[in-house]
Amino acid sequence: MHPILSRGERLAAYLAVWLVIGILLATVLTGQGLEWPEALALLLPLCLVYSFVCLSAWYVCRATPLRTSGLSRVLATSGLAALVSGALWLGLARAWIAALSELSVFATRADVFLDQAPFLFASGVLLFLLALAVHHALIAFETVTEAERRQLELEVLAREAELRALRAQVDPHFLYNSLNSISALTKSDPDGARRMCILLGEFLRETLRVSGRARIPLSEELALAERFLGIEQVRFGARLRIEQHVDAAASLCRVPPLVLQPLVENAITHGIAGLLEGGVIHLDITRLNGRLAVALENPRDVDSPAPTGRGVGLDSVRRRLTTMFGSTATMRTEIETGRFRVELDLPCSVDD
Amino acid sequence: MTDVMTDRSLQRLRVAIVDDEELARSVAREFLSKMADVEVVAECANGFEAVKAVSDLSPDLLLLDVQMPKLDGFEVLELVGRDVAVVFVTAYDQYALRAFEVHAVDYLLKPFSAERLAAALGRARERLDRGERGAARDVEQAQRLAAAARPRSHAGRILVRDGPRVHVLPAEKIDYVQAQDDYVSFRCEGKEYLKEQTLAQVEASLDPAKFVRIHRSFVINVDRLARVELDERDNHIAILADGRRLPVSRTGHARLISLL
Repeated sequence: MHPILSRGERLAAYLAVWLVIGILLATVLTGQGLEWPEALALLLPLCLVYSFVCLSAWYVCRATPLRTSGLSRVLATSGLAALVSGALWLGLARAWIAALSELSVFATRADVFLDQAPFLFASGVLLFLLALAVHHALIAFETVTEAERRQLELEVLAREAELRALRAQVDPHFLYNSLNSISALTKSDPDGARRMCILLGEFLRETLRVSGRARIPLSEELALAERFLGIEQVRFGARLRIEQHVDAAASLCRVPPLVLQPLVENAITHGIAGLLEGGVIHLDITRLNGRLAVALENPRDVDSPAPTGRGVGLDSVRRRLTTMFGSTATMRTEIETGRFRVELDLPCSVDD
Repeated sequence: MTDVMTDRSLQRLRVAIVDDEELARSVAREFLSKMADVEVVAECANGFEAVKAVSDLSPDLLLLDVQMPKLDGFEVLELVGRDVAVVFVTAYDQYALRAFEVHAVDYLLKPFSAERLAAALGRARERLDRGERGAARDVEQAQRLAAAARPRSHAGRILVRDGPRVHVLPAEKIDYVQAQDDYVSFRCEGKEYLKEQTLAQVEASLDPAKFVRIHRSFVINVDRLARVELDERDNHIAILADGRRLPVSRTGHARLISLL
């Protein structure tokens, strides 16, 4: 988009400046013995036409952007364009003088005008150069504004992505059920209700915090999963039992955020919740030879239908692993009668 | 008799709470305990207990969770929907339309307030006053809708209620289904199970790649079919793996051929 033509108010300001230029040039010419009306009649229409010629400076600017083109190239192109424009301006002036003489509108003395040819040519060249400078400035200004706007847009997008990640990560039904548990505890066990509120608050805050980061230590991911389990423990009571074995050395490994908690959530929603008596979730995390192995196993109802809805949470884990580790990380799931097992195998990097 | 039945608002509303989570049951219990003329007659932690409670205690109303182990809320409704009014109580709003289709009295979203529960009970009383005891005005409708609304694709199993008990028949273990007046009988692992349903409904609810209607009165599991023979009058006869002989109609034979 042309920075001047595309905006009405800029075009008006631009033409106003040219009006002033026309008057200034006319003042110079009156100093050379011309009458005011004559000088204005010559220069104002000329300036109006030339102002539009000078808008073409934009194309010159675009052809030789300051940032990428060499100085000599910029100078050569600009100078050549200015000379051509100056010649055009002089030609226009001559034609207009001839026309005015023909019409005998004024007591025009064409020879006096023609004496001013060098001055007119020089002013045409300078005016074009000036126009070039203005266009360069405007383009630079727009580039900066555009960059700022983009930066702002990116920030908004990042924020949205964060919230979307949270929404995708935290199942709203988990929240509804937790709130229902709190509602039940409020009367029977106020302290329990308060504990649950705090757990829930911490879980949400932590989820939001880690989901904005590229990598977190496994220990943080474990803590998040444990908060989640703590909340679900209140809901499911004795039906939900955990057995976990975590290598102390493993907790330092850096992993993408939210790779563990969705597995735990999956084990509860599609496993424990479907069993009358509940069951035990086994979580084993080991670090060996620079690799991190996570195995999570849960019982599931033998009669429950083949898992169709399963996978939103697991898919997100798979995606996170692929994004970070490419083909060096794998995720494997295994469904047997009454049992579901998921295994992650990924490189363990401890440094930052 | 009718005098007693007409004004239920003076009677105690007998409610059974069905939810697999103790805390979810306790909040309902707490709210109900403060309401006049409401009696909690049972608390059930799963669908089987709910069916048993309906048989043994015949409550007026079930507060019924949807997602539960073994039998979900809609399956419970399919089994007992004619005997009791149902208010669904769930954290999931996506079942609301299905609940409406199977004539649930109301649909409560967790967490809910005591006022909201009272309003649901009010609606239940109104419906019971009109003499509509069950959630469904007619059983066929309830069964058809429950079957259609079932989330499991092509009913991997058939539920048969036998008083307080529920038999779960895995579809692959069913040999054949036979129409018997207003009932159908499922032949499964050497036993017969009767269910009040039409054969057309059964046929619609089973996997068409596995079950085929070979006759006005028979739907068979094709895995059980040993061979098809012609009898002396040129009628087709299906011989099952256990040697049982079932009649095959002309259109039934065509269906069988196209499936195999």
